This record gives sequence, C-alpha cells and structure tokens, in this order.
Amino acid sequence: MLRTRHLVTTLAVAFALAYAGTAAAYHTRFVADNCNYAPPTPTSYITRDGSAAVALRARHEGYQWAGGCWNDNDRDDSPNDPHENPYTGGEGGDCSGFTFKVWREALSTADSGFHQWGLLRFVHGPYTAATFKAGAGAPNVTAPKSGLVKMDALASDGHIGLIYAVNPDGSDQIIEAKGEAYGTNIWTRTYRGSSSYSGVRRVGWSS
Amino acid sequence: MRWKARFSGRALVPTLGVVLGIAAAVTAIGWSTAVAGPAGGPGAVFEATHLPPLLTTSGERIDLAYDVHCAAAGEEVPDAGCEARGTAYVRGIGGDSFTALPLEERSLDGRRQLAVVVPDALAAPQRGLEYFAVLEAPDLGRRLVVPAGGAAAPHVSRQLDGAVEIGLGRHTFGSDGRPAGVRVASAEWGDGATNAGLEQSRGLGPIGASSFDVDSLGNVLVLDQAHRRVLRWVRGSHVPQRVPISINGTLADLAVAGDGSIFVLETTAPPGRNPMIRRFDDGGRELEAIETAERSTSQIRMDAESPVVLGGSSHLWMPVMVAGTPASPGEQLRRGRVGRRPRGGTEVIVLRHENEVRIAVVDGRGVARSWRLTSGTPLAEIQLAEPVGQQVVLVVRVYDGARDEFVVLILGRIGLVDRFPLDSADWAETMPLGRFRLVGRSLYRLGSTPSGAFVDRFDLEVR
Repeated sequence: MLRTRHLVTTLAVAFALAYAGTAAAYHTRFVADNCNYAPPTPTSYITRDGSAAVALRARHEGYQWAGGCWNDNDRDDSPNDPHENPYTGGEGGDCSGFTFKVWREALSTADSGFHQWGLLRFVHGPYTAATFKAGAGAPNVTAPKSGLVKMDALASDGHIGLIYAVNPDGSDQIIEAKGEAYGTNIWTRTYRGSSSYSGVRRVGWSS
Repeated sequence: MRWKARFSGRALVPTLGVVLGIAAAVTAIGWSTAVAGPAGGPGAVFEATHLPPLLTTSGERIDLAYDVHCAAAGEEVPDAGCEARGTAYVRGIGGDSFTALPLEERSLDGRRQLAVVVPDALAAPQRGLEYFAVLEAPDLGRRLVVPAGGAAAPHVSRQLDGAVEIGLGRHTFGSDGRPAGVRVASAEWGDGATNAGLEQSRGLGPIGASSFDVDSLGNVLVLDQAHRRVLRWVRGSHVPQRVPISINGTLADLAVAGDGSIFVLETTAPPGRNPMIRRFDDGGRELEAIETAERSTSQIRMDAESPVVLGGSSHLWMPVMVAGTPASPGEQLRRGRVGRRPRGGTEVIVLRHENEVRIAVVDGRGVARSWRLTSGTPLAEIQLAEPVGQQVVLVVRVYDGARDEFVVLILGRIGLVDRFPLDSADWAETMPLGRFRLVGRSLYRLGSTPSGAFVDRFDLEVR
C-alpha cells in the first residue's frame, strides 16, 4: 500500500514537472544574465529633468509584463516574448514598473521618499496602472488633466504613460512601456482628452 | 536650483557660417539624437524638447524655450544635469541673415530650460520670424540642432493680426444636435474575411482598425493592421475587398494617393532605424520602403503635391516623396514646414494652448485668414483643420474629468458658421490623430464600439 502511494506520488511529481517544463518552455536569459537585486540609492530630491533622463535611457528597450530591468543599448534584447506570460525573463519594464522606476518610488507604499533603482535592478514595485490611476500610495496623487506637465502621468485601468512633451496640436508625446510588440519609446498620444484616462502626479518634485 | 552649479552661463555665439556648417553636418550624419551606451551600461543622454510658438498675437512676447535633458555616461542619478548651452538664430520671415541670440538658463515648473525672449525688432513687421537653435553639451561632446533641418527648414512663428475671435463657451456633453451621418463602412471584430482584427495583450486595451483614408472616388480604406491588410469598401458596397500588405502589424497610419497607391506609416521601427513608410499599389504589391527622418513620427497625410509626415520632435511636416521619388531622411528634414498644404498653395497652421486654439491660413503673402477660439471647457487635441473654399473645418476634442467628445466647427470669414458634437466612439485605440478625414465637402470619422469598427460620413454645408 505504501509502495503504491509512493509510486502515485512519484508519477504525480513527474507529470507536474513535465507540465511545468512545457508551460515555461519560452524563457530568455536576459534577466538571469544581466539583472541584479541591489538595494536602491536614496536621493534627497528628484527633478523632472533627471527623471526624464532616466526615462530616456529606457527608450528603444523592450517590454516585459511584470518586468523592471533593462540596459541602454537601444534595442529589445528579448524580442517577441509571449506577451501573456510574466515569467519569460525578458528585458524591459511594463508600464507601471517603468513609471515606478522613473518616479523613484519605494517598495513600501507608505514611503514617499526617492529611491534610485539602477537600470539593471530587477524591480517592478507595488503599483498597477489602476492603482496609479487611483493615486494609491504615499508618493502618488490624482491631478486635473489640464494642469499636467512633463513627467506627470496619464493612467487608465490598464495602462500608464508619462508626459514627455506637448505638441502644437494639443496632443502629447508620451514615454511609455507600451507592450511586447512596441517596447518602450516616445509616441504621440491623445490620452489626455480620453475619458478612460486620469491624471496622476508624483509628489515632491524639486523646482 | 541644484543644476545651476554645473550650468554654464556662457553663450555660444558662433558665426552663421559655422552654424550652417553644423546644421548641414548634423543633417548629413544623422537625425537621431539618442546616444546608445555600451551593452548593459547607461550611455550619455542629451535631448531637448521645444514647443514652437507658431502663432502669436500682437504684443505677445515670443519666448523660445528648450527643455534640456542630459546625463553623462554611467551616471545613474542625473538630477544634477550637465553643462549645456545654446544659441537661437533668428530672422524676420524672408530675411537674409540670422541674428544670434544666446540662450539663458532658467527653471520653469521644475524643468530646466535654455530660453530667450526675442526682441520685437527682430520680427518682420506684421509677419513674424524664422528661427532654429544650436544646443551643446560640451562635456558629453554632443550637439543638437532644433529643428534638425537648421537654417534650411527653420521653425516659423507668425503673428496674427485681426484674427476672428470666437468664444465657444462651456461645452454641454451629451447634448442634442448630433447629425446621424451615413455609415459607409463597418466591420465586426474577428478573424474572418470581412472582420477587422484587434491587437490584444496584457496591459493593452484593444487596438484595432488603426487608421483609414478615403480616395477621391469615395472608396473607404481601413487599415486592419492586426491582419496585415487593408479593407476597401468600394463606394456603395457593403462588403469590403481585402488587400494583403506587408507591414509589421502594430499601430500605423494610412494615406491614399490620387493614383491609388497606399502609404502606410509604421510607428514601431526595426532595431536602430527610424519608423518606415511602406508604399503599396492598389493590389498590395510593395513599391517603396522609405525611412522617416525622426525617431518618432505621428501622422501621414496626402498634401497637394506629396505625402507628408509629421515629425514628433521637430513638429514639422516633411515630404516623403519629391517629384515621384522617395526622399532621403536628410531631404525630408531640409524640406520641413510648420504647416500642411492640403489644397495646393495655402498652408494651414494650428496651435492649441490650454483652452485656446489658434488657426491661420497662410498663402504666399503671409497670413490670409486667422481665428482664435476660446473654450470654457478644457480642449485636448486638434484632430483636423483643413480649408474648404473660404472656410476652415476644425475638429477638436473637449473633455472634463469623466467625459469627452469631439466638436466639429466650421469657421467663416466673420465667425462661426456651424458646429456640432460627435461622440468620441473610441472603444478601440487607433492612431491618435487618425480618426478624421475631409474629402471634398464630406467629413469622415473612424469610430469603434465593442462589436466592431466603422466609418461614418457627414456631408457639410460649407462654401
């Protein structure tokens, strides 16, 4: 009886491992080979210009659902990851992870201080687009869309992007981690006028 | 201000010859300003943004301001910025030589800027001025010319005198008075032969039927980018033809030429390249692949003489074909203009600033007609501004905290001729500025619902 139970358990484990191996068949080495888990560097202040420079270093890099680690070589080092899988270990942040890092936020939602995460630090942070939209966490507040300026954000329930510049026609240039097929870049968007989007601001910018 | 300590107050005042040489060199060697670092490490950053004051009013000061972003290679906390300096080169419209104006440091809303207020004497009386800027970060060995075409294609700031003033008041969302329109094309979402496809992935909302255009015969072409094809409704038909095209399948813009050829502007680019324009014949055979001049390009439209694209950083409209031949990126930059020419010689220039829209129709002698519209409700993007006869059709989005709509306005010589609202109908994401086209006296609108995409036609009473 004991032997039979042992055999069943062994087979179950074997099947589970085989299934897991199939499900996770696609896995890039980008995170494993390049990223780290170093603690962030506290900074005493944050400027919109400095954050724009941080964001610009992510431009032309990849997108990874639940990701948060990228280099600065102007290409996606793990292109065409399956986009419904957060565990593929690819390069890039997702939209909320990118915002978290550019806004230098903390893992604790009660902490509104400034924490510089390195490009290659793998971190996503505690916020989703929807929680950013709601102004959740000590560093984040909602703000009227008409008053948003550079490095403020426009967020919907499923996406968030940062304002990089305003165009003469009233649209915005948004820097955002858009999706696996898009990567992270600056595009003209009309989020500001869309009722799906709300204004969000990080608190504490130096003037 | 912490960056001041590293900011040089010295002005950069090279001779015009040097500047033109710089501009030509920048144009010749590349239009990309991004600087890639070594794999795995951060590289140097030196970029600038500038909102050109395209249309000013009499007595309004002309403030040329450039937001500057820079960081040294390897510097992961770039709040201190870097040494940067610059000069604006300014002349009256049609003038012979540029005058150098040193840019001064300042901070506005926490943004680091290089800026100068242009002396009144430099603007051509009743007309305005042309200008470009050269920005430098000497420690990084980087230099930018803004716009990249320099003296060959400068920004132009025109003065509005006698603009027709129109107060729009406070917008009433959901009001009556919406024209029904005529549905000229529709496709349910799906993967069938007559369906339009949706890009869907985690974090993205639905993206589909990313753009459209209408040819001179009234045939409607919808870009079904998810299926890499165009759906074409021949005028009067309810069933679309399918035209497979070789595109990368992400958000893209569409324009149809008079000869039936189809131009598609892709907004995602191959690694290390700028976005591509692909030209197809009316059967979908690829004829040309043209690289755009800037790393971000937001629209493609057919002007009277050529397809033109709007550069994301220069804010200039640039031709991508010249005399039937693809234009190189450098040639695109050298031929940039601040306005479109949808109807031959006249150019349309728009500027939305807060709750005000300024529009000018410019001919060879200067501003021929102009309007200033103010709104009691926040204004977002201008979707369309094109002349029809002596009038201009304007489509702009209005919004508040929870709602948004488009407003169609017909502007006449002495005021507002007509206006009506349209639902935003934007369930699926499209090219942001790709929702409206004007063909003859008909306005077409691309919309979507949870069931599918459609194009409606509104016949306007314009003269």
